[in-house]
Amino acid sequence: MNQNQLDRRRFLQATSAAALATMGMSAPRFAFGAAGETLVQPIPKADACILLWMAGGMAAPDTFDPKAYLPFEKGLPVERVMSTFPAINTAVDNIKITAGLENVAKVMDRGTLIRSHVQPDLGHILHSRHQYHWHTGYVPPQTVAAPHIGAWMSRVLGPSNPVMPAFIDIGQRLEGVGEKEELKAFHTAGFFGGEYGPFLLPYPQDAVGAVRPPKGMTPDRFEARYRHFRELVLRGPLGQHGSDHQQESMIRAMENAHRLLSSPDRAAFDISNEPKESYDKYNTGRFGQGCLLARRLVESGARFIEVTTEYVPFEGWDTHEEGHSRLEKMKQQIDRPIAQLILDLEERGMLDRTLVILASEFSRDMMIEGVPGSTAKDQSRAASDTLELPAHYGLHRHFTGGSSVLMFGGGVKKGFLYGETAAERPCLAIKDPISVTDLHATIFHAMGISPKTEFTIEKRPFYATEDGKGRVVDALFA
Amino acid sequence: MTFSRPSIRLLLAAMLCCSSLLTSRVRAAEVDFAHDVIPLLQKHCARCHSNGTYKGSMSIDTREALLETGVVEPGDSSASYLIDLVTSDDPEMQMPPKGERLTEEEVDTLRHWIDADLQWEEGFSFKAETYQAPLKPRRPDLPATEAGVDNPLDQIIFHYWKERGIQPPAPISDAAFYRRSSLDLVGLLPSADEVDAFVADQSPDKRAALVHRLLDNQVAYADHWLTFWNDLLRNDYAGTGFIDGGRAQITSWLYDALLKNKPYDQFVRELISPTPESEGFAKGIIWRGQVNASQRPELQFSQNVGQVFLGVNLKCASCHDSFVDDWKLTDAYGLAAITSNEQLEIHRCDKPTGELAKAYFLFPELGSVDAAAPREERLKQLAAIMTSPDNGRLTRTVANRLWHRLMGRGIVHPVDSMGARPWNEDLLDQLAVHISDSGYDLKKTLELIATSQVYGLESAPWDESAPLEDFVFTGPSPKRMTAEQFVDSLAAIAGVAPDKTENDDVFVEPVKSLEGAGERPFVRASLIQSTPLMRTLGRPNREQVVTTRPGEVTTLEALELSNGEPLSDLLAAGGQKLAANFGDLSAEDLCRALVRSALSREPTAEELQLLAETAGQPLTPAGLSDVLWCIVMLPEFQLVR
Repeated sequence: MNQNQLDRRRFLQATSAAALATMGMSAPRFAFGAAGETLVQPIPKADACILLWMAGGMAAPDTFDPKAYLPFEKGLPVERVMSTFPAINTAVDNIKITAGLENVAKVMDRGTLIRSHVQPDLGHILHSRHQYHWHTGYVPPQTVAAPHIGAWMSRVLGPSNPVMPAFIDIGQRLEGVGEKEELKAFHTAGFFGGEYGPFLLPYPQDAVGAVRPPKGMTPDRFEARYRHFRELVLRGPLGQHGSDHQQESMIRAMENAHRLLSSPDRAAFDISNEPKESYDKYNTGRFGQGCLLARRLVESGARFIEVTTEYVPFEGWDTHEEGHSRLEKMKQQIDRPIAQLILDLEERGMLDRTLVILASEFSRDMMIEGVPGSTAKDQSRAASDTLELPAHYGLHRHFTGGSSVLMFGGGVKKGFLYGETAAERPCLAIKDPISVTDLHATIFHAMGISPKTEFTIEKRPFYATEDGKGRVVDALFA
Repeated sequence: MTFSRPSIRLLLAAMLCCSSLLTSRVRAAEVDFAHDVIPLLQKHCARCHSNGTYKGSMSIDTREALLETGVVEPGDSSASYLIDLVTSDDPEMQMPPKGERLTEEEVDTLRHWIDADLQWEEGFSFKAETYQAPLKPRRPDLPATEAGVDNPLDQIIFHYWKERGIQPPAPISDAAFYRRSSLDLVGLLPSADEVDAFVADQSPDKRAALVHRLLDNQVAYADHWLTFWNDLLRNDYAGTGFIDGGRAQITSWLYDALLKNKPYDQFVRELISPTPESEGFAKGIIWRGQVNASQRPELQFSQNVGQVFLGVNLKCASCHDSFVDDWKLTDAYGLAAITSNEQLEIHRCDKPTGELAKAYFLFPELGSVDAAAPREERLKQLAAIMTSPDNGRLTRTVANRLWHRLMGRGIVHPVDSMGARPWNEDLLDQLAVHISDSGYDLKKTLELIATSQVYGLESAPWDESAPLEDFVFTGPSPKRMTAEQFVDSLAAIAGVAPDKTENDDVFVEPVKSLEGAGERPFVRASLIQSTPLMRTLGRPNREQVVTTRPGEVTTLEALELSNGEPLSDLLAAGGQKLAANFGDLSAEDLCRALVRSALSREPTAEELQLLAETAGQPLTPAGLSDVLWCIVMLPEFQLVR
């Protein structure tokens, strides 16, 4: 064995997991922010972030921002309908939400409800564009591929546990669904490169499949295969080439991958290991299972996890007709698991250091597409001046003037209500409107990332929030 | 020697303001050096006090220079004489002495800027770069070299090495040469038999003959280079924009052009002044709804034409005068106006300026476009100027891209910054004139590179993190296999490939019309829609122009390659096939054959023993798929070196 091979062996054996996780990652440029001042990264309030994504446009008046309620009644003029669910009390005196969310109501004293999140109309309201905007902070199209907010966390913070992928995405298929190309466009680390991209787990129940040997391969065979590969690398002509960063990076990537694949932490991916009683509390379907998986992964040191009610055009929250009955089902899916997630994190003493956010690309309204005066095309499929069929009963138009966001943990105030929308139509945010840019700044801030953090791409700076101008909403923090 | 303006790369600033759209930006009190101050100084002061012109010995080139003038007191605008100068009514005293005065708002900006301590982006200077990339073609004088060195590229590089006392690397073996040139020129692994025959061949010019033979394989050549051009022209078979007709493929036009080796000047003309088959590139991607002014299709045209054909980055200048190079907002709009159906109002940072764009080309010295002519005529004129023999930038840009593909690093790096200094001007210029000399036949240029002695030398990686100006060329660099090469190589070794393409009429029919072209041995990866495996291996979405794919393997990729279904399924099928077809061979024989076809070399005894152990005895599909995995995961396999 020659000297190079010896070095190679030592390299492979001696390098610790922690060191490997940070190798190849250069520090972001903290030297200058948008106004030329030295940028100091804020002290993180949370170590992990879970984004609960209500894909398809969750109607605020039918979820977290109740307005005047009228039950279905044949012949009722639609303009009289504001909410299709009655309001219920929550654990917080001045906060009411809508029926069907009784479990979330009970934990409302653990977090903050924002009712004044606003989005631009972008001329033609499309889920794909608004989702891209929300997830990257940039409105498409962009001249460079913009990174997902999770990729920012991955790039700047890296994984908390070096064997865990830093950015995990649960519940969204990128193949076999409508608008899949549009979904792929923002489920990406963009110009950061694939190292920081999402680890995709579309089916929580099958998540363990992503970290165990391929189908039909026993663990022993899988281990033996990798052992043989390592031996081949060690004994092959690699050593002859000396230090070669390309080869080193390939070997290192394989090492990292197999470190996860042989780590005890991968048990976290297997939700069937969860005690039955706990599993049942979460098991309302894919989303509920996703919340359980997210909790398990955060416990094992994941950094950023998105759990989505999967986006499929005209399904889920994307209610262009039958809005009321559809929302009954959606609430059944989300209510228990979200509340359980908060309670579990709290019980484990992790809630304070875990930022949980629930958000959607926009809200909905019975009458208004976009905001008043918008030229956006009416996209309701159940257009009628009066309620004639149950299909007419629901909030079927995209509304960008005021949507709801929930935030728990990560230093966010408890039992707090922020912002307000008008009681009468149009239900615009009339107090403390908060843009995507500012909401992102706030999330980044809680995670210890300045909204002015920038990376250079094609000689230009690219900021964590648009132009580095995102403003942290300090009022949200305790 | 500076050529990348590293100082200005540090430029802070919301130069990316192109990205801001409709969302609330702006907090009035904040003064932003790049967006607020630079344009103001540029407009009112820079002409007389920067970049070599220093009236009254006053310079604003840098913060230090400005401080030296004594006219500003950082932190105190009221004590700064500069404010008196720009607000004075006294014609003897006021600045600027003639022309437009500063508006009140501008004076306020200056005040705020001074009060906030005169923030300045580190390294930013109004002084322009010294390197000016030449526009016209130039025929370099070739250095005298030893006898037997006929290739002009060799003559230039050997001279370059001699001057620097650099010892050339050793030539690679014939087998390695076959693997390298075949993967580079047609994207395919050679079979072990082909390599054997080549090694055994005693003719002295066999390497050149091999290069010819590879390039003459029209189908394999087109299948391979389709990947490169699809990336460059952001052409794909599926993707964003297609959903509502906002995008058009140019696949059949492009494939035909590659198959017939359409001269590059004609190729460019047909993309700029397109036929219905080739209009997808110029048309861009049309998004529904409002987009930032810098992303309307006409400006996409500017950006893409500039980047792809000229290595000019107009992304900054689509929004405002660029701070990183000399391109102006009017330049980007000038190019956009050539293709625009209507009068184009210039928008600065997404706000209308009231000014109408005037159609002109980035390099007016090459010729003018008649702004009054109809659109089709203007595009024809642009196409003619772009491909005029005087446009050395066009040929230099594509020459550099081809060199990059074959040698692993551009002569100008990165390949889209053609205003930067090449590490050897003679080499770039020689390649560029070779293109025009040979009638814009890109195969001839590939041939010139691949038949040079330098191309046949041992490769060594270059350190991408080292400063650009320190780069010294010491020989070819290894390239990572593209996703398509990886998938095709697997097909060649294990016989597993996609069944058919969704574009059969585009990819199969034209081939039938070729004389003497046989059928493809398997469906090439470049011809099918991207798959999860290919995405994992770096095939891009093609929403933006992509000229360089990532060179390194990531952990997520490694995970996907270790247990992801797409590769596992392929390998399992490969194992089945191998067991069925060669189950009667000994493990050693089969593993030797696999190594020979995958790595174009004999395995060592140690390797053979390890692989045979992996395969197990008797041979099973599972064991063989594991052998395949071990081989294709080797860096040696995944690199073209």
